[in-house]
Amino acid sequence: MPLSSNIQKNLNRISLGHKDQLIAGFAALAITIHLLESTLPSPIPGIKPGLANLVTLYVLIRHGWSLALNVSLIRVIAASLLLGSFLSPTFAMSLAGAVASLAVLGLAWICPGKPFGPIGLSILAAMAHISAQVITAYLLFIPHASLFTLLPILLTAALISGTFGGILVSKILERTHDLTDT
Amino acid sequence: MNHSGLASLFTIADKILFFFSAALIIASYFYFWQSTPAHYAVVKSPQQNALFIDLNDPKVHNVKGHLGISTLKVHDGQIRFTASPCKNKICIQSGWHQHGGAITACLPNRISVQLTSQSSTPGYDAIIF
Repeated sequence: MPLSSNIQKNLNRISLGHKDQLIAGFAALAITIHLLESTLPSPIPGIKPGLANLVTLYVLIRHGWSLALNVSLIRVIAASLLLGSFLSPTFAMSLAGAVASLAVLGLAWICPGKPFGPIGLSILAAMAHISAQVITAYLLFIPHASLFTLLPILLTAALISGTFGGILVSKILERTHDLTDT
Repeated sequence: MNHSGLASLFTIADKILFFFSAALIIASYFYFWQSTPAHYAVVKSPQQNALFIDLNDPKVHNVKGHLGISTLKVHDGQIRFTASPCKNKICIQSGWHQHGGAITACLPNRISVQLTSQSSTPGYDAIIF
């Protein structure tokens, strides 16, 4: 069969490198945490511990920004497909949050001297994440100025969860220090 | 986990960022939680098209409703019902309104007044699915 042999030939050409394996492994972990987190009840819409984002932060610090970008975007898309929210407002906000926090993390990461530790990076990511989500919600779904009344509460939650998330990542980094490549 | 151990996890930039963020958040409470003055009022009635009223233009507006004519008075960036053919006159007793997002209405006459700071209303209230 010429067709199937052609497919086989193309498949052989795709080689999975070490980077791909890292991306797949961390993305799987992030998706699992994202799914578990989506079942947690939330007192105020928009407030979540953001544990899935800690995977992104860990990957950024251990393996660099481009790997973190891959893991984060795969997580957002795959988790939304699994939750059935792909292309819904939830997805748009999730994507906006992820893109904004990745952008801010990227900027902080190329800062000369790398002044921020895991906690600083985590706070920056959390604040960017929630700000982008509120702006997206305002521009696309709830065009009412009263929406911004929620912003101070959400930012407070982001600072708290960002700080604790950063502490958590610091501890995980300490414990996995001896591992050359996870 | 002792306290000094926890503090050592913060770099100097982290500490500055933490306190800067905290200050920004406190400022955001003051900024976003103060009531914003409204600039326009949208008056809706089933008997006529929606009316867009500039609150900086002191004027008296007569709006046709289900029972008859309601009178709205605009003065000094504020708006109120001054007359309405309803029984209880709750709309009139609610007094002046000047804050963005405030809503007042004369239910028997089926007239609603929504105050807004924007010069146009969005095409929809919210999208949820």
